[in-house]
Amino acid sequence: MQAQEEISDTYNSSSTLASVIATIESIVQDWDLDQPVDASTRLVADLGFESIDLIQMAAALEQEFGRPNFSFADLLIVDGRYVDDLTVGQIAEALDARI
Amino acid sequence: MARTLFIGLDGVTFTLLDELVRELPGEGVAMPFVAKLMREGFHAPLRSTAHPLTPPAWVSLITGRNPGHHGIFDFVRSEDRITDFYWTLSDRLDIRVESLWSIASRQGKRVVSLNFPMMSPPEPVNGCLVSGFVSWKHLRRNMTPDGLYDRIKAIPGFSAKELAWDFQRESQIGEEMTQAELEAWVDHHRPREEQWFRVAETLLAEDKPDLFAVMFDGTDKLQHQVWHVLDPRLIKNGMTDAEKRLRERVLGYYRRLDEYIARLAELAGPDARVFIASDHGFTASTEVVRINRYLGELGYLAWAENDGSATAKRREDANFAFLDWTKTLAFCPTPSSNGIVIRVANEPGHPGVPPEQYEAFRAKLIEDLLALRGPDGGQVITGVMKREDVFPGAAMHAAPDLTVTLRDHGFVSVRNRAPVVESRRIIAGTHHPDGIFIGYGPGVSNDHSRKLMNIVDVTPTLLYSLGLPVPQDFEGRVRDQMFTDEMFDENPVLFGPPTLPVTNARGAASSGVSEAERAKILEQLRALGYLEN
Repeated sequence: MQAQEEISDTYNSSSTLASVIATIESIVQDWDLDQPVDASTRLVADLGFESIDLIQMAAALEQEFGRPNFSFADLLIVDGRYVDDLTVGQIAEALDARI
Repeated sequence: MARTLFIGLDGVTFTLLDELVRELPGEGVAMPFVAKLMREGFHAPLRSTAHPLTPPAWVSLITGRNPGHHGIFDFVRSEDRITDFYWTLSDRLDIRVESLWSIASRQGKRVVSLNFPMMSPPEPVNGCLVSGFVSWKHLRRNMTPDGLYDRIKAIPGFSAKELAWDFQRESQIGEEMTQAELEAWVDHHRPREEQWFRVAETLLAEDKPDLFAVMFDGTDKLQHQVWHVLDPRLIKNGMTDAEKRLRERVLGYYRRLDEYIARLAELAGPDARVFIASDHGFTASTEVVRINRYLGELGYLAWAENDGSATAKRREDANFAFLDWTKTLAFCPTPSSNGIVIRVANEPGHPGVPPEQYEAFRAKLIEDLLALRGPDGGQVITGVMKREDVFPGAAMHAAPDLTVTLRDHGFVSVRNRAPVVESRRIIAGTHHPDGIFIGYGPGVSNDHSRKLMNIVDVTPTLLYSLGLPVPQDFEGRVRDQMFTDEMFDENPVLFGPPTLPVTNARGAASSGVSEAERAKILEQLRALGYLEN
């Protein structure tokens, strides 16, 4: 069997957002949240993300978007400081900008 | 070939195990089944990776390669962003070489792997894999195949929160605890092991894989905090009543662990081979060494200014170096690393040492590190290893430039507190380079000469037990003394093609293997029968 995952690079803006939403919904599915996930959903304020959840999300998106060298540092650090929160839409935009 | 059962025990050492497998006055034999395996089978000390730390050591143990090849050096990896550092957890995508699970799977063996670190996100295997060191919130995504989580959830008494890794709780390792906190610490870890055992028991009984592997890590977590009631050298002069109570609680943990191992061996069947290995050993740490404080006093680094904000307070209390990155030349990134990173200014204006001055700078730094003296006047840092000497390989440049060994084998502190070297009020447990290896079953010898093995010998041994060839690029070997002559005569050790390149690892670009080349290798392996269609 082939032990490594296939890498896909066929995304556009709307499908990027849909994929990000699907990935985050998959991450939070066992958290007993009533919050639907859309572009305006805030990771910390709405979903209760902690640092470990951001790391898991980064790895999941890396796998989903097939970007082995994608760095979430650009998204999480602005002007030398860690950002307080991120929306799902901001993540999709950042991914689009870098594809 | 016989079914192969592999039990990983985090941080076990013969210093302690020899006590747990013999009759102790008033305590009996804590681990009678492991005693039987040792008495009737093979056992030897197992030398860990150059820095005996859980992530690099387990990854070496299940890849047969040293960290310079596999690319895992610490729990975290970092990016130097010139004016700041970005820290994140290392994970499976940082591993640059093929795992035992993949090697066995692609040759048609059915595999179950439970609780090994750095396996997240999980790779597909011919069987089941549950990644270790994962929060309950991410368990479902960190196991394979699809549907496994629901299957495990159906096990009576299953609790994701009890089974999973609690990052907040485990971050307390190394802190001084009261007697009540220590007793609670032991009590917290027992149900967690029970959960892993229940999952292991179910998957072993139902799936009957060729290779079954489970890692129990409560050993390490307990020993870090309660080593003062376990180390025979420390208790020989007696214990307080409170210490005796604590010890009895901990021995209860080991008794139960022995029952888990016995039950899994029973389920594997009388013809199975049983192997037990640890990623490193354990010993006593007697002092705190604040390495960045020392480097700061010598002018190698500058501390970040705490502006009083919640973020600054959080950063200062975290187990990551909190520094002024515009003025820092060399620093220790994390306490677990025992590493020193030298920043090289690859562009004008960037902070760091000019490339042409690197060698001289490093030589002076080594001299300064070895010059550190404790309050007793003794040398505190007994070894300084250069990365090219201990981590050769394609991933070497991800390693710290230097790795230090302290005289008590302790981990350093990265906090800005004085003094640089201070005695601990309560002795703590820390990692020792020498762990354990035990083998038992058909064809396994009863050699007790305790000749030192290396951690990279474990993967070839397990592959040999499965009847599979040892890849040419492995660094370890099947030890002559481990199996009987009859076993080797009937089943000579075979050597096969190298492991498959891992193209989706973060550092894979440096391997220089293109998709086309990889496809060609796969085709060749398939033709040779090393790959299932």
